[in-house]
Amino acid sequence: MPIDFSLTEEQRQLQALARRFAKEVILPVAREYDEKEEVPWPVIEKLHEVGLLNAIIPEEYGGMGLKMLDEVIVGEELAYACMGIYTIPMASDLGITPVLLAGTHEQKERFLRPLTKKPALAAFALSEPGNGSDAAALKTRAIRQGDHYVLSGTKMWISNGGEAEWVVVFATLNPELRHKGVVALVVERGTPGFKAVKIHGKMGQRASGTYELVFEDVKVPVENRLGEEGEGFKIAMQTLNKTRIPVAAGSVGVARRALDEARKYAKEREAFGQPIANFQAIQFKLADMLIGIETARMYTYYAAWLADQGLPHAHASAIAKAYASEMAFEAANQAIQIHGGYGYVREFPVEKLLRDVKLNQIYEGTNEIQRLIIARHVLAE
Amino acid sequence: MKFVAVIRQVPDGESRLRVQGDRVDLSGATMILDQMDEYAVEEALRLKEKHGGEAVVVGFGPERTEEAIRTALAMGMDRGVHVVYEGFADPVAVAEALVEVLKEEAPTLVLTGGQQADWDSQALGGALAEALGVPVVAWTTALELEGDTAKAKHDLDEGAEWVRVRLPAVFTTQQGLNEPRYPTLPGIMKAKKKEIRKVVAAVSPKVELLAQEIQEKARLGKILDGKDPVAAAEELVRLLHEEAKVI
Amino acid sequence: MVLVVLDHDGNRLRKGSLEALTRARRLAEAFGEKVAGVLLAEEKAPVEEARKYVEVLYTATLGPYTAERWAAGVLKAAEASGAKAVVAPSSRQSRTYLGRVAYALKAGLLEDTLDSWAEGGQVYATRYAYLNRVTEKVRAPLPVVLTVKPNTTPLAEPLGGEAEVVALSVPEVPTVEVLERLQEEKKGVSLTEADVVVTGGRGMGSAEAFKRVEELAALLGGAVGATRAVVDAGWRPYAEQVGQTGKTVQPSLYIALGVSGAVQHLAGMNKSKYIVAVNKDPEAPIFKHADYGIVGDVHQVLPALIEAVKKLKD
Repeated sequence: MPIDFSLTEEQRQLQALARRFAKEVILPVAREYDEKEEVPWPVIEKLHEVGLLNAIIPEEYGGMGLKMLDEVIVGEELAYACMGIYTIPMASDLGITPVLLAGTHEQKERFLRPLTKKPALAAFALSEPGNGSDAAALKTRAIRQGDHYVLSGTKMWISNGGEAEWVVVFATLNPELRHKGVVALVVERGTPGFKAVKIHGKMGQRASGTYELVFEDVKVPVENRLGEEGEGFKIAMQTLNKTRIPVAAGSVGVARRALDEARKYAKEREAFGQPIANFQAIQFKLADMLIGIETARMYTYYAAWLADQGLPHAHASAIAKAYASEMAFEAANQAIQIHGGYGYVREFPVEKLLRDVKLNQIYEGTNEIQRLIIARHVLAE
Repeated sequence: MKFVAVIRQVPDGESRLRVQGDRVDLSGATMILDQMDEYAVEEALRLKEKHGGEAVVVGFGPERTEEAIRTALAMGMDRGVHVVYEGFADPVAVAEALVEVLKEEAPTLVLTGGQQADWDSQALGGALAEALGVPVVAWTTALELEGDTAKAKHDLDEGAEWVRVRLPAVFTTQQGLNEPRYPTLPGIMKAKKKEIRKVVAAVSPKVELLAQEIQEKARLGKILDGKDPVAAAEELVRLLHEEAKVI
Repeated sequence: MVLVVLDHDGNRLRKGSLEALTRARRLAEAFGEKVAGVLLAEEKAPVEEARKYVEVLYTATLGPYTAERWAAGVLKAAEASGAKAVVAPSSRQSRTYLGRVAYALKAGLLEDTLDSWAEGGQVYATRYAYLNRVTEKVRAPLPVVLTVKPNTTPLAEPLGGEAEVVALSVPEVPTVEVLERLQEEKKGVSLTEADVVVTGGRGMGSAEAFKRVEELAALLGGAVGATRAVVDAGWRPYAEQVGQTGKTVQPSLYIALGVSGAVQHLAGMNKSKYIVAVNKDPEAPIFKHADYGIVGDVHQVLPALIEAVKKLKD
């Protein structure tokens, strides 16, 4: 297949839609929801209205069947306006992906179709208070009792956990089996014994709801199990291999915003009788930002393309996520530096970029974990 | 019934314009469906949704105008006609280029934006109406069909009025008429399969464009601190009176 | 002949007509022609005043304005005078019906021109494009239809004679039926013709706050403008909106109160001779486009401004 860097007509339209949506719907309220630390439901409703929410659900289940490349195009645009708000649909896709990967036709009908009918979210619960990166060391227990499992334990840092219609929960049937003992269960909101507690006081991405989920002897029907017993860990890893790519896309969006804000300020702000954009010290920073944005976007597109082609993409998605999130953090950092004191206060948007994008280095696998994945790939030869 | 929206693609008002030589260079600009024409598309869709029939988008301009036509299709228009022409054309020439297509379509009514965001022309509605031999209602803010007539509210130079007009007629659209919808993702997907008929325009411009330049007026930029509002106001009034001599 | 369309309010010619006359006379001189006028009336028209400015005056009383009637009237006058150039003051109405006229005459339409002149048998003009951001030079051979942007041209003086008045018989044309006129409350000068415009933006905070804006506008003999946000909020009528989707103004003095300065708004006022901005945010883009400004609370600065202007007037 020849290399082609152009977007299709539909992708350009999709990009234009997402860009306009970001500018008209997200940008005006981003600061407000960041300050209130509240989920912007009006934005979620509008996302649903224009078809951008849960759009990766295939057409046969009522969705739009967006491919990964489509998703990263949208992700960059939405995150440009607010990474925290973009995390909400992104985390919903994270919840949907295990159902796409391992769900039966009936499960897809049951769980996915309702998410296309109304503004509704899904969630993905893997991390626990005592373990995040070591995902095989799960403590949440699932015990089979006849036609259901009894689930008990606590999940931590779960985006959309309190808003979601259902959460894919990873639990162990037998901790000694490590990753071979993991099962993936879809737990619906309102199931007795299932409680979501909002985590307050986040540094950034405050518009997205992050939760601690507590399961106290929650009965989950066997029909809610994705794949077989023992396949849960594989499902989780395959999911993350995909969903790290939108994290990279969001990072590119944040970096682009940082560059735009820095450029605007540098051309307006004067020092020593001229705009600071005239100084090489500033110009180099702006150039470095663009180098990072362009390379990260290209690599993110590449990782998305691999995923869409059904080719191995675990290490590519890890590279994209780690590289783009670090690049974006540095871009936000330099944007603040260019703003000087003004960059450190809330009247200017750049401090929020840094607070928000810090999380991109942490969630969906810390960048250290990404490096382990990449190193495994290197050493496999 | 058939509702036609005539549209063009223009640079986004917020995108930066450049001049190369003595012409505006749009190669780096973000191009969009003219926002005034967007009201025309939305109104055509609303009329179709209410009264049935077909909503057709007719675009005029270079190849890239197809993107704007696709946007209109993604908003819900049924099909498109693209009258292809590269370069500047005055509204009389545009109307001449469109008249055959519009006569073929034989629409119930034609809608188009009140002003073009690139050539700053307000004459296309009037010129199209003359070309079709029908009345024009300019700067429309409300539109209802009643049998084979339409009742419309539109702005005059001063004030506004309600009129009744026998159809077909041309309406020019503006802010206040409606709130244009987003071209949704399902709309974008469906638009892929919709037809755009290409017509090569026979255009004979009456007006020739000789040169374009961007003249930013240099501003004085004397900004006063308003911590003491009375002192600042008095100083401002003094400057306006003594320096600018405008009051 | 060069035909000039004389706009009026029933009693007097509008200022724009006198600007159009100046332009028409320039073209007529270059072509070695005379200037004829056409005076179209709903009921009455200032015929005696108009006679003083032209060599021949065509008149017709047509009933309520519609684009079709006015186009028919102008076309009839063009035919009667044999005019190859039609000049008119620029307004939303004239730019609509002259679209019809230009099409009917297969004429080059030069809209909303800043300046115009004849050279080598062709008509040249300068005008704005791209939402007032670009100035362009255009050219058209005869016949042409040309509209004159308000406040761009010296006002014509009377010629010192009295033109012959020719009553036109304008054919009936298919047109709209006017059901109801909704007159704007007449508050001082019209926005597009005003030499001073005082505009309030979202920063005014409420509809009530515009009383002070009106007061300052009245003191300066100007008109009140509004931004899109203000109109969307329902604080002011759309007729007062300045900007891309509203009116374009070019006064000597434009005062923007609590206006941030979005590109769409700038498109409607960035050619004003002097721009004054009052905003509490020193980073508001409007200050980049201002000749004078005050960084401060508009609710404190505006009353102080009103007092300062009153003091100056005393």
